[in-house]
Amino acid sequence: MTPEALLDLATRVETKARELGASEAGVAVSTGTHTTLQRREGKVERATSATTRGLGVSLLVDGRYSSHNTSDLRPEALDRFLEQAVAATRFLEPDPYRGQAEGERCGRAASEDELDLYDPHLEAITAEERAQIAEEIETHVNGLGRDDVASASVYVADGSGTTARVMSNGFAEVTRGGWFARGGDITATEPGGKRPEAAAYYSARHASDLPDNAFIAHEIGKRLQSRLGSKSIESGAYPMLLANRATGRILGVLGGPLSGGALHQKRSCLLDKLGESIASNKLTLLDDPLRPRGLSSRPFDGDGMFARPRTIIDRGVLQQYYIGVYHGRKLGTDPTTGGRSNWVVPAGERSPEEIAKAFPKAIWVDGFMGGNSNPVTGDFSFGIRGMLLEHGEPVQSLSEMNVSGNLLGILGRLTEVANDPWTYSSLVTPTLVFDDVQFSGL
Amino acid sequence: MSAVPHLDHFERFGVTENEWRRVLAEATALGADDADLYFEHTTATAVALSDRIVNSAHTSVDVGVGVRVVVGDQVGYAYTEELTLPAMLEAARIAREIARSGQASPLQVVGLQARAGSDFYPVNRRWAEVDVSERIPLIRAWEEAAFAADPRIEKVQANLSDADKYVVIVRADGKVVADYRPMTRGGVSCVLEDGGRREAGGYGVAARNDLSWYTPERQERLVREAVKRASDALLSVPAPAGEMPVVMAAGSSGILLHEAIGHGMEADFNRKGISIFADRIDTRIAPNEVTIVDDGTLPGARGAVNVDDEGSETEKTVLVENGTLRTFLHDRISARHYGVNPTGSGRRESFRHPVLPRMRCTYMENGPHDPSEIIKSVDKGIYCESFQNGQVAIGAGDFAFYVRQGYLIENGKLTQPVKDVNLIGNGPEVLAAIEMVGNDLAIDEGGWTCGKDGQSVPVSQGMPTVKVGKLSVGGGAR
Repeated sequence: MTPEALLDLATRVETKARELGASEAGVAVSTGTHTTLQRREGKVERATSATTRGLGVSLLVDGRYSSHNTSDLRPEALDRFLEQAVAATRFLEPDPYRGQAEGERCGRAASEDELDLYDPHLEAITAEERAQIAEEIETHVNGLGRDDVASASVYVADGSGTTARVMSNGFAEVTRGGWFARGGDITATEPGGKRPEAAAYYSARHASDLPDNAFIAHEIGKRLQSRLGSKSIESGAYPMLLANRATGRILGVLGGPLSGGALHQKRSCLLDKLGESIASNKLTLLDDPLRPRGLSSRPFDGDGMFARPRTIIDRGVLQQYYIGVYHGRKLGTDPTTGGRSNWVVPAGERSPEEIAKAFPKAIWVDGFMGGNSNPVTGDFSFGIRGMLLEHGEPVQSLSEMNVSGNLLGILGRLTEVANDPWTYSSLVTPTLVFDDVQFSGL
Repeated sequence: MSAVPHLDHFERFGVTENEWRRVLAEATALGADDADLYFEHTTATAVALSDRIVNSAHTSVDVGVGVRVVVGDQVGYAYTEELTLPAMLEAARIAREIARSGQASPLQVVGLQARAGSDFYPVNRRWAEVDVSERIPLIRAWEEAAFAADPRIEKVQANLSDADKYVVIVRADGKVVADYRPMTRGGVSCVLEDGGRREAGGYGVAARNDLSWYTPERQERLVREAVKRASDALLSVPAPAGEMPVVMAAGSSGILLHEAIGHGMEADFNRKGISIFADRIDTRIAPNEVTIVDDGTLPGARGAVNVDDEGSETEKTVLVENGTLRTFLHDRISARHYGVNPTGSGRRESFRHPVLPRMRCTYMENGPHDPSEIIKSVDKGIYCESFQNGQVAIGAGDFAFYVRQGYLIENGKLTQPVKDVNLIGNGPEVLAAIEMVGNDLAIDEGGWTCGKDGQSVPVSQGMPTVKVGKLSVGGGAR
């Protein structure tokens, strides 16, 4: 479907919903494509491809709220779907806080060109080109010269999507985005029967922002090497260097407690902490929806409100929660935005290698194994993978160990931010360094 | 109408027999070892209550077809939500491209024949026949019972979700199978405050069943357990750190099996040589009293399937028999690779995904010990009762699971509740370290969902009380 056809369908559905009795409707119609190619042992293991579509609608009927999705866009099926959706909503109870944002809060904060989320190369890419990229990565992986490999797979994928959104408050916009991903995984055999594995995946909005194929293969090999001979060591407190690509598991603990829903339901360890210090003064956390080519960039948020960059944590002090229109009304406060976009931690001065040298012993964490956190208390407990470092030198690969603590405790012990931001994710952070972190092993 | 009997499901797709025969012929035109079409139509409803108002509902409709073409171990896959002949033929042409990169043999689609599946989840009423107004009194009652159960409750949320899923699988070997799959899930969670300390607790139940499954006993348990979990959490202390004996309670402790061995037995990982169990069939990996199965036939279980998602009969597959590793979980690709019969383990999240070998309901059979005897045998350790999530590294065998509800064991007795904690171990080492197996097997009714390769499928798990000699507990106690 063309952008015009999507917008036309969304507009018709919004009108139809109001004709059926909704006082407000918000409609999103999306179409997209995605293609993946996986190679193993010199041949294509799996190739998938599809063009996909879907429609979502949220309704307010006599003060009652509901939301609905369908992939069945046959006209008669869509009509029946809307009729049933409106009828079902009438059985609910009125919720006085529901309703769309005021029209003047809503709109596009940046043009499609400014955000630059769609690489025109997506229209030209061919099956032959994907096959060639996958073969190249595979050739480089084979060229690592390892004789302990049990299996290696490489992966090439891309996709794009276009969404039209129409709301009863006058909002009507179309957005388009694309993505590319490349990577691979590898498994080695070790004496004793263990088969350590490693993987490296990269994604970007534009193909030219991905690392080259030789680098990807090299990284896969490097990560496998660091997994060999792993074991656990004595429980205790160690400094932790949290690798740039792995910070999401710890910083992600913030996500739930920062949300308006959690605050209103009193499921947040950050309740009543606005303006207070919740982390060491080394931590600044920005939410930047307008970052060009950002993987979570967007011109407006989930409520249709203008996107704008925000400082969530400024030198340790909590500046803002994530509060959408609904929870803003429930909490009696102005909304900020209902959900995160790109998270950015500004880079520091020194490289992780330079920082690591100063520690007689430190644990480098570059992956996690299970675990979870409790948003009400901020307590967390995660399994880790990593490396014991002595004066920056790797001395023992680590597995079967956990890191545990409390969100506010660990953020308070952030001592340094390195200079190596990871750009292949919507979480753009450098390596983070914490002191006195509790690890359990033997 | 279809000339093939028992396929009234096709009516909801609006696809004629002539059309799906043409799509299958198109998919196999370049040759293949196997091919199938997977038609799916799912309608789902969820209603939720918070802040004493039944204030949201969500419904969804998902319809589409997936076309798969298999050449050796190679898979070509495409799908479409548009069930028109041109769109389906286009999907077939994309999927069959795989045949150009492999050595495809010509495939003759033989006469298509409908087969009846099993009936492990009979229902009196399908969910589409249940009005939203009939669902609301349930969540309202759960909320009221929760507030009445403990004066310290600040917040209650309750939800009920359900789905009717219809699938029709058309295979190039001539088999045509239809299945209706109901699913429901109920949940209650609450927040308690006491003396400035605040904790949350929740409980959920799920099954392939209908509205009548919510018996008074089940609804009462749903509320009681949610409140108990929050109130226990208010008393919890940090868990200890390091290796120690761990007693797994009967029921959802099956998560240990799911992570420690279940994934490693999925045959795709073994075919590729990336599972730690790859070369261990018919070797001893656990004490004699350990028998572990993966079972698709448990009536009404969330993980039950009448047929799997490529049309194979389901079964109870023995993974470990009296301590000896026996059978991998096979889909048709791995079964052909190993020259064995499929175990009915080929599953997929939806028509958007190709089939993979997956678990259904994984549990350990009963052993000889009384559960109280097992707890009594531990001087200092942890008792694990409920869980949130787990993970495994297939090759290294390392696995973890997150304990939401646990207790200290001191001198053979359960004492204080402990805070949420992650436990970590190595699959083969932990199975070998099982010291006692209880006689109280319970299949958990929780709404477990298993993720693999970006696909989520519903599963069940169960366990008798089991003692593991040592696991690493990720406690924060210093």
